[in-house]
Amino acid sequence: MIEAQGVSKMYSRGVYALRELTLRVDKGEFVFLTGPSGAGKSTLLRLLLRQDVPSDGKLVVGGRDLAQLTQRQVQAYRRSLGFVFQDFKLLPNKTVLENVSFVPRVLGMADSQQQRRTFQVLKWVGLQHRMNAFPLELSGGEQQRIAIARALVNDPIIILADEPTGNLDPDLSLEIMNLFREINARGTTVMVATHDRELIRRVGRRAVTLDHGHIVEVA
Amino acid sequence: MRALRYFFAEAFASLWRGRGAALLSILTIAAGLFVLGFFLMVNTNVQRLVGRWGQAAELSVYMREEATPEQTAAVRETLNRSGLATSIQFLSKDDAKTEFSRDFPDLAGAAANLQRNPFPASFEVRLASDAGGAAAAIDALAGSLSELPGVADVRYDRRWLARLNAMIGIVRGMGLVIVLMLALASALTVANVVRLAAAARRDEIEIMQLVGAPFAYIRGPFVVEGLLQGGLGALGAIIALLASFAVLRLRLGSFVAEAVGVPGVAFVPATLLVLLVLGGMGLGCFGGYIVARSVR
Repeated sequence: MIEAQGVSKMYSRGVYALRELTLRVDKGEFVFLTGPSGAGKSTLLRLLLRQDVPSDGKLVVGGRDLAQLTQRQVQAYRRSLGFVFQDFKLLPNKTVLENVSFVPRVLGMADSQQQRRTFQVLKWVGLQHRMNAFPLELSGGEQQRIAIARALVNDPIIILADEPTGNLDPDLSLEIMNLFREINARGTTVMVATHDRELIRRVGRRAVTLDHGHIVEVA
Repeated sequence: MRALRYFFAEAFASLWRGRGAALLSILTIAAGLFVLGFFLMVNTNVQRLVGRWGQAAELSVYMREEATPEQTAAVRETLNRSGLATSIQFLSKDDAKTEFSRDFPDLAGAAANLQRNPFPASFEVRLASDAGGAAAAIDALAGSLSELPGVADVRYDRRWLARLNAMIGIVRGMGLVIVLMLALASALTVANVVRLAAAARRDEIEIMQLVGAPFAYIRGPFVVEGLLQGGLGALGAIIALLASFAVLRLRLGSFVAEAVGVPGVAFVPATLLVLLVLGGMGLGCFGGYIVARSVR
């Protein structure tokens, strides 16, 4: 599903964020990316989101070399992804319902389909009763569940999450991870970047540890 | 259709959110288009005036005091042979004095008290309306008439009409430059307002980019927002033009009719109004597109 072959990413002045990274993630797998700040976790997610391209090496997702994609192909590729960020990236002036339905709406989905999918995912994350609330009226955990619902609404084949529990307490963090586990159990490939080793231990999935852009451990 | 509905919904929402800046932008466009519309209105009326004067253009042949009946007959014969005249009217000295007294009743008394009649006899010749295309032939006719014995002077209206037309052309050119500058200023104002809207929506745009929304969905609302601003600006300009037209007609209509012989003031033709609205929308679109293009 995801294959990094000797991927390096160099930023200005010769600073490497990733160095000759080789990694394979199978379809339907749940993988943690961990390591200290600056290890290269977010850079790898940025490359996978195709917000950037490797300086060297090849990053292949679903058989497609991401560096070779045209703008239009990048758009099509991103429609197969779901993303979740530490800061939720919810739109404060839109309700929960509008935040989630925003994605199918801007992808040109029919109104009836938009509504059906939005209700489905809101029910799935257990927040259908808060659909008319605004994000700032919700707790951190609820906001992140909305962000997860938004990531799921397009029925993605891969979910990428960058420190999704960074702003949450341990109990809420585990609750969010359980949601990711459920998503994964339905066949979606999940890649979560976190520096919370305790959480990884409690969830108990493959963890790839990065440090200074290198893979230092796979457990 | 769904995309269009989305563009318009987002554009209206964005206009409402930034209604202060949007109003400023709409007023700027309205001001620019009002100047253009006013220019068109003046142009329309000047065209009418010139057209009317052109139709009424005459050749006047003034005879000398001592001109003999044979010389007068020779002038008439020359005019008849030219084939350029639609009517030829001979005004004797007495006829000229009578006409003067009729046209200027305030001065009629003074004219009556003169020892001798100072008004020359003349031929008033109405030229064919398509004689404008035969300017050289009329010039030649005027030249040959002025050389005939007994002729004091030949006045030909079309010469100064041509000069007037040339002057109008220059003024029109200058007006066009001003209008183009105003159009550019309007487009840039729209672009700046839409840029503000884009900045306010940067989170939405980021999410749209991340989920792979088509460019049309990302950029469309900005173009439509510019289009709406331009369209509303154009409508504002037309309302202001109608108001100005009503005031002008009320205050100056009869004066213009008396002074230049054209009945009333005419408004901008409907086709030009449609073009004004389309132009405004085009300007707005252009401003919105400048911003939309930068969103990738």
